[in-house]
Amino acid sequence: MAEDNTTFTLPDLGEGLVEATVLEWQVAVGDRVERNAPLVEVETTKSAVVIPSPTEGRVVTLHAEEDEVVPVGAPLVTFAVTVSDEAPQAGIVGKVPTEEAKPARRVRLKPPTD
Amino acid sequence: MTELIERADAPATATTVELSMQQAINRALRVLLAEDPDTLVFGEDVGALGGVFRVTDGLQKEFGDQRVFDTPLAESAIMGMAVGLAMNGWRPVPELQFDGFAYPAIDQIVNQVARMNYRTRGAAPMPITLRLPSFGGIQAPEHHGESLEALFAHTPGLKVAAPSDAGDAYTLLLQSVRSDDPVVFMEPKARYWDRKPVQLLEPTTPIGTSRVVRPGRHATLIAWGAMVHRCLQVAELAAEDGVDLEVLDLRWLKPIDAAGLAASVARTKRAVVVHEAPLTAGLGAEVAALVTESCFRDLSAPVQRVTGFDVPYPAGPLEPQYLPTIDRVLLAVQRTLEY
Repeated sequence: MAEDNTTFTLPDLGEGLVEATVLEWQVAVGDRVERNAPLVEVETTKSAVVIPSPTEGRVVTLHAEEDEVVPVGAPLVTFAVTVSDEAPQAGIVGKVPTEEAKPARRVRLKPPTD
Repeated sequence: MTELIERADAPATATTVELSMQQAINRALRVLLAEDPDTLVFGEDVGALGGVFRVTDGLQKEFGDQRVFDTPLAESAIMGMAVGLAMNGWRPVPELQFDGFAYPAIDQIVNQVARMNYRTRGAAPMPITLRLPSFGGIQAPEHHGESLEALFAHTPGLKVAAPSDAGDAYTLLLQSVRSDDPVVFMEPKARYWDRKPVQLLEPTTPIGTSRVVRPGRHATLIAWGAMVHRCLQVAELAAEDGVDLEVLDLRWLKPIDAAGLAASVARTKRAVVVHEAPLTAGLGAEVAALVTESCFRDLSAPVQRVTGFDVPYPAGPLEPQYLPTIDRVLLAVQRTLEY
């Protein structure tokens, strides 16, 4: 297992927004974060939103201070991400379907008379 | 994520082994590459990476980068190259990474692959098997969940296969690649990871033979690809209610096994066809017409269709509502029982 650094840039959070102001970091350098965990609250001209973490990993760098204005596309966070030494595995696109032991249903049948 | 691909170790002729559909297709490709030096496997990421679904894992290492190779991200070029290779005596097994990516190659598939044999009066057969990961069920983005079987079945010159489990995927792929006619081989992505004891069998029945995967007497559920599994789930639940459903896996969507359909429905007298593709002009209409032609006097009820909706394939979270649900199939069965 090795680690690889990956940098997450500020996405366009609305339709054509160009920047956002960092309100509050919800992670610190050195933290381990789960995918989709709250990362940072930012304010745009439309609203304040919490951006979830795009990946699981360890926070290496926060690229902006609180109250700093960050342009869309500029670096926000750098993560150290664990990469497998093996070849990439199944599920690069989409999810492996889960199999229910006993599938649910609402409809019940009446047997035919013939 | 599940890693299920085995490395090249056991002989591919073992009788019963536990395999996923990915692994079974991988085994079949190994057999095909080994038995015929003219067989070539190519497509986007099939070489060094081993395919996005790991289906071609290890093949480039085993057979070299002249026989298993990556292509540019250009589907029309992949299929165009297959045509040229076939004309020069090769046996191409191209992969188009996802069903929706077949659209950019439709010109090559419909205008060249399907017609070349006819156009040249047999001088240039097209022994091409297009491997096409197909259908929905894995919550992938747009263009990754399409069901194109009606389009291909409607194209004269093409054969179309859609296996439902690992064993059939192995056998039908051997059959498809060894055929001198072009075959569109639709692999149900949602079943790729399904792992079970599998018999790796050589083909024994002709192309276009269906299979009764569960015998029953009250109605026949007709399906292919991942919907066979859905129908088996429905049949188990129906059995709790005292209703005994037969499940017929069509396996080949061109040619369709009209005799197999007729034999099943003549016994059960009721038929429900289930597919993921939209309703209108879907293959279910063809199946219903065939059943009606052959079993008109035997039928106790009109043939029912349970399908996707006439909308573009929806984004992941809506998939369970779009795909035929257990309840929608059960309701259709009830309609045939009460008619």
